[in-house]
Amino acid sequence: MAMVDLSKVLVKQAVVLDQEPFESKEEMFDFMASKFVEAGIVSDKQKYIESLEYRETLGPTYMGNYIGLPHGKCDEVLTPGIGFCRCKEPFTYKSCGEEGEVKYVFILAIAGTQTGDEYMRVLATLAGLLAHEDFLELLDKANSYEEILLAIKNYNI
Amino acid sequence: MKVVAVTSCATGIAHTYMAAEAIKKICKERGYECKVEMQGALGIENQLKESDIKNADLIVFANDVGVSKSERFNAYKSKIKQTKPHAVIKDPSIIFE
Repeated sequence: MAMVDLSKVLVKQAVVLDQEPFESKEEMFDFMASKFVEAGIVSDKQKYIESLEYRETLGPTYMGNYIGLPHGKCDEVLTPGIGFCRCKEPFTYKSCGEEGEVKYVFILAIAGTQTGDEYMRVLATLAGLLAHEDFLELLDKANSYEEILLAIKNYNI
Repeated sequence: MKVVAVTSCATGIAHTYMAAEAIKKICKERGYECKVEMQGALGIENQLKESDIKNADLIVFANDVGVSKSERFNAYKSKIKQTKPHAVIKDPSIIFE
């Protein structure tokens, strides 16, 4: 699917399956930002959360179909990456005046001065996959990080 | 029916590509020809040709930021359906309304 190894973009430490539902989007931001920091993707958790919040002011990141797709772009992102969290049950996701039930969160970390188009290509391709319901079914069934990777690699748009 | 579209968004990554895919998907379901130009963080991709624009029955603008090279569409304003990528993602059928 891409020139860059997908496993380098989908951050293993930031793939969480069967998470208890969050109280709020903000709690999820905090949780996932910590995962990125632990993985060495983000150098400053607070700055990254601020960039997520800033993006929220521009428009909703609730995408329908139980998907939340928040994305933060800042200089504190050391390597572009994607985190994924699948909740056991949907939680209420409030985003820029919209509100929806979210069970699948794909969270993107984008470097402030974007370099490495091959990484951006992977982020873009993944965003495209999310428009397909049968891809979401694969995500729902996956039991491990490796199965998520396979689902993404094998899905042909 | 021939559909062409241009998608763009604020960060240039998520909505641009998800909206493009949503448009292609609904056109495929309906048996329409479709070509989508993406104006995202990777620059202009799959750029529409003059003939694509001329021959289209419907031109969809799903953009949050200004469309680059919009002069290409000046002669075909009556065919343009203006919408937002977010709206298309949530309900792609709006492009036919």
